[in-house]
Amino acid sequence: MIEFRDVTVIYDNDIIGLENVSFKIEKGEFVFLVGKTGAGKSSAIKLLTGEIKPYAGDVIVNGITVNTLKNKKLPYLRRSVGVVFQDFRLLPNKTVYENVAFAMEVVRARKKDIRRKVPTILSLVGLSGRAKNYPNELSGGEQQRVCIARALVNSPAIVIADEPTGNLDAETADEIMKLLMEINRMGTTIVMVTHSEKIVNDARRRVIQLESGVVVRDEMEGGYALDVLA
Amino acid sequence: MYSLKTAFSSLGRNAVMTVASIVTIACCLFLFGVFLLFAFNINYIGEQISSQCELQAFIDDAATPADEERILKEISALPNVKSAEFESKEQAFENYKAQLGMEYSESFEGMSGSDILRSSVKIVPDDLTLVKQTELAAKSVRGVARVVNREDIILKVVSATDIIKFGSLIAMLILLITAVFIIQNTIKLSVHAREEEIHIMKFVGATDGFIRRPFVLEGVIVGVIGASIAIVIIAFGYNMAVGGVTEFLDVFKLYSFSQLALPVSGGLMLFGIIMGSLGSRSAIRRHLKV
Repeated sequence: MIEFRDVTVIYDNDIIGLENVSFKIEKGEFVFLVGKTGAGKSSAIKLLTGEIKPYAGDVIVNGITVNTLKNKKLPYLRRSVGVVFQDFRLLPNKTVYENVAFAMEVVRARKKDIRRKVPTILSLVGLSGRAKNYPNELSGGEQQRVCIARALVNSPAIVIADEPTGNLDAETADEIMKLLMEINRMGTTIVMVTHSEKIVNDARRRVIQLESGVVVRDEMEGGYALDVLA
Repeated sequence: MYSLKTAFSSLGRNAVMTVASIVTIACCLFLFGVFLLFAFNINYIGEQISSQCELQAFIDDAATPADEERILKEISALPNVKSAEFESKEQAFENYKAQLGMEYSESFEGMSGSDILRSSVKIVPDDLTLVKQTELAAKSVRGVARVVNREDIILKVVSATDIIKFGSLIAMLILLITAVFIIQNTIKLSVHAREEEIHIMKFVGATDGFIRRPFVLEGVIVGVIGASIAIVIIAFGYNMAVGGVTEFLDVFKLYSFSQLALPVSGGLMLFGIIMGSLGSRSAIRRHLKV
């Protein structure tokens, strides 16, 4: 599903983002990407969405080799990768329904499909009763649910969650985690970047830890504190 | 449909800027149209002057009427000859008297054309720049005594109209670049207001073409409305202006607007669309690189 083969990322200012990173994530896995700020987590996420290309090595997502992908074809990769942002990035002048429908409109989904699918997804994330509300009328947790609904509505095989609980209190963060686990149980591969020790330790899922652009730990049912704090 | 809806709502959201750029585009295209009409008419006047600047091949006095007929035929068949007209000694004499007027008519009493003038063939060339070759060719026709060439006047007319046309072209180019710049800035505001939306569109997999389309439409709408206003003003203003000019300048004919309506209106509309499209495309280019 996702494969990094000896991937190196070097930015314009000669800073190394990743160095000879290799790992494989299978379909249906839930993987935490952890590490200090500047460890290379963002570089890994950017490679998965095609925002950057590796200096060396191969990045394969859903059978597509991202590093050789032409810019013209990038939108089709992104349709198979849903992204959940820490700061939600909802459009303030659109309702909850419109925010989610927007993701389908821009990939030219049929109106009939939009009308059928958006309420189903809103119901999945527990926001059926909030469809007509605007983002500023929602709590942080609810806004993140909208963001998750938007990431899911085009049925991506992979969801990348970039610190989805970073702006939320512990209780709301737990609810969002439960939702992501539920989505994962339904077959969607999830790669989640987090700094939350509690979330990683509670979930006991695969943990890939990066330090200075290198994978220092890849552990099934791993915890957070072991090496990150060391 | 999505693109059109988005384009119109965006134009409405930046109403003040939209109106300002439509007015500016209309002004630019109006001036562009004025230069275009000017260039068309200069060309037209040039043609009129050129057609008056003809070569004249004088025929030897010894030529018989049969010779004159042959000479006319041979000159007509020369390259670069648009038309050739025979003028007899008598006709030339009558024309000469008419030119001088009634007051001198007494001086010519008892004279006839054959006494003082030669018959000739008046030649109107096709291409004024090849007039020298035509002169030499006419000279080599048997029975032609002399060819008078008003080359200096002809070439002056050609170079003057060329300079005016070139000047108009430069002015039009500057106006077009200005208009593209104005549209670009209007669309930039629009892009800035929807930056987050564009970013999200990129992340959910919208193609560049899909993202670009509403902005290009927005620019094209501004261009088309601006061009329409310019066309209306020019259509009303031109005939009035021509009326005024021809009162003083009745030597030359000018085009009426109906003769130029298609090329001028079509040209302005086309440029409105092209500028709108170019301005928008360059305004959004940077934002598509995510």
